[in-house]
Amino acid sequence: MSLRTDAKRGQGSNYEYVVARVRSRRASLFDDDDYRKLVRMGTGEIARFMEETEYETEMNALGARYSGIDLVEYALNRNLAKHFDDLLDWAEGQLYDYIARYLRKFDAWNIKTIIRGIYSGASQTEVEDDLIDAGEFDERLLEQLLAAESIEEVVETLETTIFGDALTAAYGDFEDSGVLVPLENAVDRAFYEMLLSGLPTGPEVDSPTGLYIEFLQAEVDFRNLRNALRLARSGADMDPAEYYIEGGRLFKERQLAQLATDTDQLVNAVRESPYGDDLEDALETLEDAENLIDFERALDVALLKYAEQLSNRYPLSVCPVLSYILSKEREVDNIRAISRGREAGLDSDEIEQELVIL
Amino acid sequence: MIESIAPVVNAVLQGSSAPAIPPAAGAALAVGLAALGAGIAERGIGAAAVGAVAEDESMFGRGLILTVLPETLVILALVVVFVV
Repeated sequence: MSLRTDAKRGQGSNYEYVVARVRSRRASLFDDDDYRKLVRMGTGEIARFMEETEYETEMNALGARYSGIDLVEYALNRNLAKHFDDLLDWAEGQLYDYIARYLRKFDAWNIKTIIRGIYSGASQTEVEDDLIDAGEFDERLLEQLLAAESIEEVVETLETTIFGDALTAAYGDFEDSGVLVPLENAVDRAFYEMLLSGLPTGPEVDSPTGLYIEFLQAEVDFRNLRNALRLARSGADMDPAEYYIEGGRLFKERQLAQLATDTDQLVNAVRESPYGDDLEDALETLEDAENLIDFERALDVALLKYAEQLSNRYPLSVCPVLSYILSKEREVDNIRAISRGREAGLDSDEIEQELVIL
Repeated sequence: MIESIAPVVNAVLQGSSAPAIPPAAGAALAVGLAALGAGIAERGIGAAAVGAVAEDESMFGRGLILTVLPETLVILALVVVFVV
């Protein structure tokens, strides 16, 4: 296995070093003023603006091959990958494990992209440009995956990774049905199961580790909540329990199946849960506007605020790193929303509504 | 280490009036322990300072000052040597 995990394990954590670097990078993220400027720009101007900031290297590297909106998009992905890869490079010991846990989300994304690429017959370079090399997979493994000619080959290559068992199990379903859903579900499920497995059990509730675990549980809970709401809204005749992810604090499997059919009950259940206070605003938008997008944005803001709070309360822990990861992700999402919105001809007020800003 | 413990133990057991740790040795211990403490403190600060400098060169001066701040512990402990 070409993962870094083994080499990093067994060392002490270097919180001081990583946190100092992360805080510095966090300070250089775009602020409200930058967003205000960006929202008023056209796509060409956005590209030019980005060339003068943090994203300069990526914009220049990709500038020859792409232009306009694609250039912005790929530069964002590359930059994100660079920064998150740095985090994994710096971190040692326990801290590495904590960070890798969350960043494996990009491994899941890459696997799905590659599988979809093969399925739809996209060319290798097309798929490669869509990858975000921010997770634990190193370049060699990704190249191997890219070179794979069939989905079966991809599944075989991944056999030794954490996604191996789930993918092998789902491959049969895929062969029978011919749709990608079982494989993609298997990848997501493997990621979320890994997220919470093997963490120290019963840490003190107020210790940074305890709070980090709480944060991951919140992530799982919010995911369950989103899935339940989406299923309920779409009216699709599917069993929400099939999409249930274990490990959260909010729902039990059966409960979720019941609540998904009734939004009011769901809102009440969340309000009485430990998240009630933090999600008050989000729940109100859900009740008033009956608007799922607003609600999801409010969830993001709540998560971001929570991480920010933790990072100030426990300066020497995984919390500041986590807070940085979330903020960076939001920044990339925001810039993407702005440039996409511009291209689609939305006016600046509409775009501003789409942004997630603290 | 072990050889130096033996005379100390003997001195205590004999119940002689001489102190187990003579003043000069006490002062030396004080300075040594203070230096150890300063070293432990500088470990974390130094790591953070190097991280900050790696991100932003202009942090070098500030990083250096913060890194050597715990050194004052040793200087204060040095006072003990002259008091004794």
